[in-house]
Amino acid sequence: MARVGVFVCFCGANIADFVDVPAVTEEAKKIKEVKYAIEYKYMCSDPGQQMIRDAIVQHRLTSVVVAACSPRMHEKTFRKALSDAGMNPYLLEVANIREHSSWVHQKDKKAATEKASDLIRMAVAKSIANEQLHEISVPVTKRALVIGGGIAGIQAALDIADARIPVVLVEKSPSIGGRMAQLDETFPTLDCSQCILTPKMVDVASHPFIELLPYSEVMELDGYVGNYKAKIKRKASYVNFDTCTGCGACWQKCPVKVPNEFNMGIDKRKAIYSPFPQAVPNKPVIDAEHCTMLLKGKCGICAKVCEKGSIDYTMQDEIVEREIGAVVVATGYDLWDPSPYEEYGVGRYKDIITSLEFERMVSANGPTGGVPVRPSDGKVPKRVVFIKCVGSRDEAKGIEYCSKICCMYTAKHAILLHHKVHDSHAYIFYMDIRAAGKGYEEFVKRAQVETGATYLRGRVSKIYKKGENLMVRGEDAQLGQVVEVEADLVVLATAIYPYKDNPDLARLLGISYDKYGYLSEAHPKLRPVETAKAGIYLAGCTQAPKDIPDTVAQASAAAAKVCGLFAGDTLKKDPMISTVNTEFCTGCQNCVTVCPYQAIVTEEIPLGHGSKEMRIVAKVNEGVCQGCGSCVAICRSMAIDLAGFTDMQIINEIVSI
Amino acid sequence: MIALGQQIENKFLEAVNKKSGSNILECYQCGKCVSTCPVSSFMDFPPREIMQMVKLGLKEETYMANSMWFCLTCAACSSRCPREIDIPRVMEAIRHLAIEENVDPDNPKVKAIRKFHEIFLDMIKRYGRNYELRMMAEFNIRTRNLFKDMHLAPKALLKGKIPLGHEKVQRAKAIQRMFKMAEKLEKIK
Repeated sequence: MARVGVFVCFCGANIADFVDVPAVTEEAKKIKEVKYAIEYKYMCSDPGQQMIRDAIVQHRLTSVVVAACSPRMHEKTFRKALSDAGMNPYLLEVANIREHSSWVHQKDKKAATEKASDLIRMAVAKSIANEQLHEISVPVTKRALVIGGGIAGIQAALDIADARIPVVLVEKSPSIGGRMAQLDETFPTLDCSQCILTPKMVDVASHPFIELLPYSEVMELDGYVGNYKAKIKRKASYVNFDTCTGCGACWQKCPVKVPNEFNMGIDKRKAIYSPFPQAVPNKPVIDAEHCTMLLKGKCGICAKVCEKGSIDYTMQDEIVEREIGAVVVATGYDLWDPSPYEEYGVGRYKDIITSLEFERMVSANGPTGGVPVRPSDGKVPKRVVFIKCVGSRDEAKGIEYCSKICCMYTAKHAILLHHKVHDSHAYIFYMDIRAAGKGYEEFVKRAQVETGATYLRGRVSKIYKKGENLMVRGEDAQLGQVVEVEADLVVLATAIYPYKDNPDLARLLGISYDKYGYLSEAHPKLRPVETAKAGIYLAGCTQAPKDIPDTVAQASAAAAKVCGLFAGDTLKKDPMISTVNTEFCTGCQNCVTVCPYQAIVTEEIPLGHGSKEMRIVAKVNEGVCQGCGSCVAICRSMAIDLAGFTDMQIINEIVSI
Repeated sequence: MIALGQQIENKFLEAVNKKSGSNILECYQCGKCVSTCPVSSFMDFPPREIMQMVKLGLKEETYMANSMWFCLTCAACSSRCPREIDIPRVMEAIRHLAIEENVDPDNPKVKAIRKFHEIFLDMIKRYGRNYELRMMAEFNIRTRNLFKDMHLAPKALLKGKIPLGHEKVQRAKAIQRMFKMAEKLEKIK
């Protein structure tokens, strides 16, 4: 015979103001199985928990119902109270009479009270069918996979590796460094980007716990938290990295010229190339799309000049497999293409460039040796107009969100312009100046006061050519008048946008992404680095636009999550997972299709006892199943049941009201 | 329409900064001065806009504004300015520059008020303090508007707001010497 205890919480005034708590308790006492019912001001407080513990012993309770806030808040607290009293923690049911009743029915106390009673009745009925469950232990492979070798991936890899956990760092381009390697100086301190980044890159290359796989891409990820298996494609570099010394003879002699991605296409690189002088690893790769030897079988100069004989035109892509326990995704960002802005003359006028192109120009290792020049005639520009929010905050032509970093890097560009070209002047068209960050407002002030950049509040309406200069027309909202700036160069602060292949990567990893292609975090506030899939974490701009400090912070947070995950030898998880009754399973595999976590696989079992014929049935992988219940709902033969939410429990709930 | 970019140097800004001792680039256009100023509603460009015009180097437009002539130098704005700009001194600097450069003194917008300032200073120079009756008369004569505000005279006289005779300060000579000294200093500059 079931003996249920009901504990009703006032939650201060949160519940008591809109639900008649004593009446609800009296109502609960009328239920046949309820042997004990009591109300208390704060059930989650220490005395409240003590009441539960005492009642379990005194009244020999077989299950406990706490009528309080959402189980998301205090289910753990009350489960702990149960196990402290020697009871299986999964014999607890929480009736959510706050979020589901008092808060949403504030205008009708009577109805709210009745609903609270109903919720308790359901919870009591469900708890009667509760079974003793036990946490599941899953073994864990203590190795992390970091996807992306920008500053986010570098930081995450270093932090994890410093905890003596092996890391596999996969980078798709020939060198790690990412976007940060392209930057000249960084706000708000004007540190040279390379100077602060390259030591970290060198650390990655020399770290005994980091396996660096450059020029590689993740092709497949199978398994579940603690036990993933990754297939990684090592793209053919056509260069033997073991013997190559990085002397550079090959790329000096290579006759094929290709637009240089690292310099945003401003200059040319060769078909055999290393992206930048401080590249890690500093070994060249052959761009198979452009190499005439690989395309037509003619040339072979690089092989001739290589003293070490490191060039190997026969090299093939190679697939390597790694067993890993957790993944940090740090694939970074792309730039939004500004071509919808026809009124700006994007594409028509050469002297309109993007901020990253400007960044490359002012960079000392850039294509122009650190001096900005006009693409049209190579002259050094004196009057430069910077336009912020190109694509950002524009639902019509661009995207709704704010790219977060443009206000700051545009202020930086104004300062850098002044440093590189002393008699120049920056005009900045802006909508708002968003400078929330340590030292950021001061930095903008520096651009305005020390550098004397002219800030004009308003969006530019049109740009047209006058002689060899550009006329930029916009409003100065401070004066309410139209202004027209005659400029030598226009720099567009184009929005941050996720890489086009982010959704493909998300599908490959089995995680979700938003309408733009940013990878989604599990909770925007309280779980910002986790994804909905256990063991996969996010770092940097792959999740949302971020500046370097935020990116590094998130990368370290992701690393801490990985270290936490690997702290024990096994992983503990809730036993609320589904199980297949193979006797009823027809092998239709609807559950396999519907499972959002790819937790269901199929297996073959004998058709009958001792039979040699086989039939297919579904099988749930305990480690992967998150207990969402989709498979239970889709199963036609009711062969799947979810522990803690069994059909019996649900039916009991429904019947009780 | 405002045309920018013709020249990179902003000499007007430099001149105003030098004369006022403030850096107008500090202004971040919050508008606290405008809402503080008791006479901003009478100005054609409130103080914030004057700051922006100086920033953009719009010299002619700034000189044509009546704002700096309307400014009472009460300093309410500067006591509240979050960027600690001495706005009354900026206004004063622009007034001085406008006089020095003698930009269109007959502009109807500022003609009367400039006359008023001249007459007021003249009164101080002569008597050491203001002599209201004479000032009013002189102002009306010099602006060729003899009967302006005449209807207010009987009431003001009855209430003793306009003393009929004038009072000199004890050492009016000293004040005259101060004026002379100031003029000399201006010339040296």
